[in-house]
Amino acid sequence: MSQTPLKIFIVDDEAPARNRLRELLGDCGEQVAGEAANGREALEKLALTPVDVVLLDIRMPQMDGIELAQHLQKLTPPPAFIFTTAYDAYAIRAFELHAVDYLLKPIRLSRLQEALSRVREAKPVAADVLHELQQAPRRNLSIHERGRIHLIPVEQVLFLRAEAKYITVRTVEREYLLEESLTSLEKEFAAHFVRIHRNCLVAKSAVEGFERIGSEDGEGSGWMVKLAGLPERLAISRRQQHIVREFG
Amino acid sequence: MNKARSIKQNHPSDALPNFRNLGVTLRMLLLGNALALLAALLQANDAMDVLLRMMQIATLLTPVLLGSLVLLWLAQPLLNKLAYWPGVLAVNVLVGLFTLLTCLFAGEFFRPDSAGYFDMVRCVLLSVAMSSLLLMYFRLRVRVLSRSLEDARLQVLRARIRPHFLYNTINTVLGIVRAQPKLAETALEDMADLFRMAMSDPQDQVALRGEISICKQYIALEKLRMGDRLHVDWQIQEMPEDALIPVLLLQPLLENAVYHGIEPLIEGGTIRVSLKRQGGELQIVVENPVPVADLSHTGNQLALQNIRERLALLFDIEANYQVTRGHGFYRVEITLPYAKEVTK
Repeated sequence: MSQTPLKIFIVDDEAPARNRLRELLGDCGEQVAGEAANGREALEKLALTPVDVVLLDIRMPQMDGIELAQHLQKLTPPPAFIFTTAYDAYAIRAFELHAVDYLLKPIRLSRLQEALSRVREAKPVAADVLHELQQAPRRNLSIHERGRIHLIPVEQVLFLRAEAKYITVRTVEREYLLEESLTSLEKEFAAHFVRIHRNCLVAKSAVEGFERIGSEDGEGSGWMVKLAGLPERLAISRRQQHIVREFG
Repeated sequence: MNKARSIKQNHPSDALPNFRNLGVTLRMLLLGNALALLAALLQANDAMDVLLRMMQIATLLTPVLLGSLVLLWLAQPLLNKLAYWPGVLAVNVLVGLFTLLTCLFAGEFFRPDSAGYFDMVRCVLLSVAMSSLLLMYFRLRVRVLSRSLEDARLQVLRARIRPHFLYNTINTVLGIVRAQPKLAETALEDMADLFRMAMSDPQDQVALRGEISICKQYIALEKLRMGDRLHVDWQIQEMPEDALIPVLLLQPLLENAVYHGIEPLIEGGTIRVSLKRQGGELQIVVENPVPVADLSHTGNQLALQNIRERLALLFDIEANYQVTRGHGFYRVEITLPYAKEVTK
């Protein structure tokens, strides 16, 4: 290859697997820019040193490779992804369907070379394709803020509220602004959040109680929900009042 | 594999039940009495009469049934030596003779209003018929269970050698072969042993020390891959090394613990394996941490179901199998009858 060597980053939770990739990349004459054993570490390192290609393992603890790719996509410019997997029939079918590059472990030198040669021409994977590849809800929301990517574990989120253009993500400590749609978030995290209003989802586990305001059936009366660790109360819309009963 | 002993002499579908197994004894008692109830139902004119007839039948049936069970319990070692059909004949002859003797010597006592010669012949015929029916039932039961075993065999093989484990391990060996060729050699040898076991007959039994050494080889392979994240606490000091257990009973439990417990945890964790003898029983406990947040966790049902089926076939109700899913942990407990390895 006469072109400038690619800067490549390896993410895999298993040391021998990273070692194997490093050796093979050495055989290809490519340059390894760095490696990480988990998603969080990868995000921290990649925010500091951008790379061309990220080789990422699909099955990793805490955050799988597909979720990690979704967060990494918010980097500017986003790197190209090549997924690696030992065995995952579902993911492989999905990759084939969306023409996303992947390598089967044990990885062959020739397959790796092929994938790398394609990377230069390839278009970056679209966000909605990654979303479709995802098998389970993400464990974290990622927020791009002044060149940094914040990871917010979903279980720390108290509520999500749609504002004009963004979604406010509230944790006990602070608020973040997220560029996603409330409807798709509701669908993805159906087990975790419940809709209390047209523009608001609250974490089921954070609900501490309900308060009634105004007089019975009077104008402006209704229910408010109290969340753990949050002084403010959130209004429940008339249409969603049945959740008060459901929480009992 | 030289230590492995086959439970069955010929095809699994043709074997007499183990008359010393509590489950077999209970099944015979229940079914015997159920047949008597049917007979009473047939003869009776009203509800009260059913009870009366049942009691009438039971006066002779109970001593014959209990006596035959004791006789069969005693004869078990001899019956074991016979092939299936001679065995069936022997059981029927034993039961028939016992009924005849009971009628001859205690007939007056159990059935004072008996009709003599005819009654005696009838009793012998009925008890031989009943014992044949019961044997037929046991034969069918073994067939059904071993059919599911046959069906499951391929699946089992796949479940035992999880593809994820196979490919990952090969990848791991490739990852160390250049830097540490010696270590790679050991890993491949361990893998060969593991696969040899996995391809053996699922009905075979091995001495516990053999199963433990396979498990340790398996853990060594996983440790290569996962490094410091994987720990195993072997509580096996009191384990009876010569106890027989079904081949690859423990290893799939460990594999489950690694796959669903340790791998999803970023810090890893410790699997606790405890083996000990308690009276006539062998207790096996495998406990592993699981991610607390992960509510979708289901475990490898295939491997667990296979273990349950094999236990049912080999030990009937004398084996106990229990899963506890708690906050942040998962525990499988198995109790088997303790049997010693026969040294040749």
